Amino acid sequence: MEDKKKKRPRISDDEETQSIIPFKKRLKPDPEILSILKTLSQSLQSTSTSKPLTLSDLGLSSTCREVTDLDLSSVQQEIEKIVFQITKQILSGSGFSFEVPTRGSANQLYVPELDRIVLKSKNSTRPYANVSTVRKTAVTTRILQLVHQLCTKSIHVTKRDLFYTDVKLFQDQSQSDAVLDDVSCMLGCTRSSLNVIASEKGVVVGRLIFSDNGDIIDCTKMGMGGKAIPPNIDRVGDMQSDALFILLVEKDAAYMRLAEDRFYNRFPCIIITAKGQPDVATRLFLRKMKLELKLPVLALVDSDPYGLKILSVYGCGSKNMSYDSGNLTTPDIKWLGVRPSDLNKYKIPEQCRLPMSEQDIKTGKDMLEEDFVKKNPGWVEELSLMVKTKQKAEIQALSTFGFQYLSEVYLPLKLQQQDWL
Amino acid sequence: MDTAGSSESPIEPKKRNSKTPKKAKESVLKQKSPAEFFAENKNIAGFDNPGKSLYTTVRELVENCLDSAESISELPIIEVTIEEIGKIKFNSMIGLVDRERVDEALYDDFESVKAREKRLAKETRNQEIQAKNASLGKKTKEPSALKGIKGRGEASFFRVTCKDNGKGMAHDDIPNMFGRVLSGTKYGLKQTRGKFGLGAKMALIWSKMSTGLPIEISSSMKGQKYTTFCRLDIDIHRNIPHIHLHEKRDNKEQWHGAEIQVVIEGNWTTYRSKILHYMRQMAVITPYAQFLFRFVSDAVDKNVTIRFARRTDVMPPIPVETKYHPSAVDLLLIKRLIAETSKQNLLQFLQHEFINIGKSYAQRLIEEMGPDFSPKTAVKSLTSQQICLSPAGEYNLRLGIVKELHPDMVATYSGSAQVFEGHPFIVEAGVSLGGKDVKQGLNIFRFANRIPLLFEQGADVVTRTALKRINQGECFLVVSLTVSQCCEQTKKKRRDLAYNINLFQTSIQQCCVQLKSKIVKKIQAREQQERKRNLSKYIPDVTNAIHGILSDTAQQHAKKRRYVGEEAEVLKKVSAKVLTKEMLREELAKHVEQVDYEMALDYAMQSGVSEEPREAIYIQALEGGHNFTDLHSSVCVLRLFPTRLRVDSLFFLWSPLSKISLIL
Repeated sequence: MEDKKKKRPRISDDEETQSIIPFKKRLKPDPEILSILKTLSQSLQSTSTSKPLTLSDLGLSSTCREVTDLDLSSVQQEIEKIVFQITKQILSGSGFSFEVPTRGSANQLYVPELDRIVLKSKNSTRPYANVSTVRKTAVTTRILQLVHQLCTKSIHVTKRDLFYTDVKLFQDQSQSDAVLDDVSCMLGCTRSSLNVIASEKGVVVGRLIFSDNGDIIDCTKMGMGGKAIPPNIDRVGDMQSDALFILLVEKDAAYMRLAEDRFYNRFPCIIITAKGQPDVATRLFLRKMKLELKLPVLALVDSDPYGLKILSVYGCGSKNMSYDSGNLTTPDIKWLGVRPSDLNKYKIPEQCRLPMSEQDIKTGKDMLEEDFVKKNPGWVEELSLMVKTKQKAEIQALSTFGFQYLSEVYLPLKLQQQDWL
Repeated sequence: MDTAGSSESPIEPKKRNSKTPKKAKESVLKQKSPAEFFAENKNIAGFDNPGKSLYTTVRELVENCLDSAESISELPIIEVTIEEIGKIKFNSMIGLVDRERVDEALYDDFESVKAREKRLAKETRNQEIQAKNASLGKKTKEPSALKGIKGRGEASFFRVTCKDNGKGMAHDDIPNMFGRVLSGTKYGLKQTRGKFGLGAKMALIWSKMSTGLPIEISSSMKGQKYTTFCRLDIDIHRNIPHIHLHEKRDNKEQWHGAEIQVVIEGNWTTYRSKILHYMRQMAVITPYAQFLFRFVSDAVDKNVTIRFARRTDVMPPIPVETKYHPSAVDLLLIKRLIAETSKQNLLQFLQHEFINIGKSYAQRLIEEMGPDFSPKTAVKSLTSQQICLSPAGEYNLRLGIVKELHPDMVATYSGSAQVFEGHPFIVEAGVSLGGKDVKQGLNIFRFANRIPLLFEQGADVVTRTALKRINQGECFLVVSLTVSQCCEQTKKKRRDLAYNINLFQTSIQQCCVQLKSKIVKKIQAREQQERKRNLSKYIPDVTNAIHGILSDTAQQHAKKRRYVGEEAEVLKKVSAKVLTKEMLREELAKHVEQVDYEMALDYAMQSGVSEEPREAIYIQALEGGHNFTDLHSSVCVLRLFPTRLRVDSLFFLWSPLSKISLIL
């Protein structure tokens, strides 16, 4: 860190670089920016002591459904309960059926007080003796058996493992994955409680120390790529950090740039990415960091509808996993950039902007109707601007001014101006 | 061409002139006859190589036949014969016409080509035997020689005969109709397949260039006592017919129509499938025509005879010649119209020379005349124009598809008339699923003015639209575009017009909407059959899983008692193997059986009520006897013709409530 500080003034002395890199002059010295960040993080530390709201606080527990973490034996017991029930049904000669919570978009509800999507209580029956449901019922039964085996042996497998145990029946992984979510809904537990995990996808780097299965990990010393986020959150603990904020990055490329430039040493922070659509592990990890360290989360996503969508998945949850949104969502994520208004503000040249396709525009317009966008007037404004100008840009568009523009000018300036929504 | 024939020799220097401007001295202003131009640029008209030429010749002749028959509202009967002529026979044929000295040059040319072929074939054989390093002089020659052999090696000679029952041609007109390029009866704003008076002449030019044999035409018009027989070829340089024989013969059979016979070089082996495909497409779009296609050769096993039978006698109406629509007018045209018009004043001129302009409208136009004139106002009142178009008609399109493709399902749609650049047009589309000889994937038949569109498949607007819309299955898509004025070039142009894309899209969509409900029904029917199988399929999976969990639980239960009462009882049975997989399986199978039975009853009740949409059926009348029998019933009258109509070949399905109207 010392090193960096020495270098920086030298660069800014260079008249030529200054004239080339726009807005560089406006940057205040680092200590000033740091003090801004400090006040931000301190204000958060003091205020966020209140317990987060739950469904029952709002009197919604009867109309909405939420799952909890269950231990293995309770999961096992739940499965056995269902199996006893269907055995009885079969033996009585009336076939059998499952009661599965509906996970379709009609059964979702955005609760503004909680700022996340929750699942309503509608159930659908999945009878065996029906042409349209027979397949799903068969898959569900098989998944129940496999999860039951995991419980008795108390081991973890990945979703891919699970799929390969009976490829012939499952046909493709999306089917077994979907039914797995159904099963966690049915049993009322989180997917991690089923001992089924997704393979590692997210990475984290920066001022964070935590224990993974007992080993102490220092994320400043994990090399350039950072530490892969452990797939099961229950073995993660003892989080410690001197960071002032968490920087959530949509894309691997931007993450690499920041990691290589050791951005976290100039401004103490934790950088995390899920490389696109976030998986469950990354979402759980981000939530855990946010709650335990009480740090502000700033998001750096592409300036297109999908960037905002990804942001919303971190913040309010996805519709697919809404039954577990309580555990998966991270409240209060700030949209730092790249925002549609930044395109003109930072004079991104036309050739780096892309025209939005019809599909993009449609997605953008659809998102304007979504409750989680509407609740934030700043977001609505930005998204309307995007749809109006019909232009999008990736984080990489900033590389027009040099590969390091992102880490050297753009982000520091953003932080200095507290330019987040 | 490289021989010193008297008529051909001027072509060569001229050609050199245009290509090598170095010899400025010789650049004298010369004129080229249309025939010369097309002889040199055969590819414009689709005569690129022998194979394609055979194909195009068949097309041009068939399309002429159809136009001719339709122009007098006769149901077309068309016979196409392609006869392969062996080398020996061909040589003797050339010997026969040797007395026609005029064509000497061409024959020489042909002979020399043949001689060269033989020589080059020999050379290549030698080259194969010898080592590769032959003399340099030879090497430079050989690539082209090889190519020449390859291109011409499979070429052989064919006599293409095409006979119709159409209008026929007037005795005196025949020489000009065939022996003069760009002369024709189809100019004007009327929808015909042919347009430029080029097709038959190009066939003649090709025959003259490839074989040197003249074209033979016999024709008779309705009510004529004689048939005209004419044998002629074309003087390419002067673009005039060269008549060998022009005589009147007896017309005993009261035949009217035309029979055209031309001997050309061609390639049957590679173009066989294309020609047959073309005939099939023709049969789809003109189900009211009867085609007889024959290929005759010495090898009997190669012979092909296909008859495309007539299925209806409802013909599209004869297109009416139309006047220009105001929005199509350009400066050149208006000048010509002003020069040609017989009308005295501007008012009458506007009223009579253009379509859709009434007297009051013309007056208003004149008042408005000047820079303020807006063509937009004219385009609005446009729909009444459709009379000048003669689309295939939804009924015929549908019938054609059913007749030739035998699809499992078919849907057709016909849009309303639209205008593009002043030319009215109609889009009709048909989508069919399944059927006989269907290739996997999307098959697209495109028609313009009821003739198949052949070129640029894949890049056109129809294909591109279709690929976006339809995604799977063995599927036929038939789209027919009817335009008043249209040539191959304009068809190509049309593909980029967004407006048209929309139209195609809506018509295809309409078809798909129709098909959707049918498909849903069909799926239901299939589900009906497969339900039991599907339901039973997963029984082993399910029972194994359930039993697996139970036995695991039972094992644990044995160690540590966790359950009491009913559950404990079940587990006990499992460990004692009283409750087995087979037992579960049986019970479940029993249940499936019961459910299946109930659903089958349900389905039978539902499908009994549903009613298919009704359609008028047109059955081709056989020659009219008037003593028919009427079968009266409470719902319909069935009129039977005792002579020819085979009732056993027609069967109708109807529920007691439906009505059938037979139009015989």
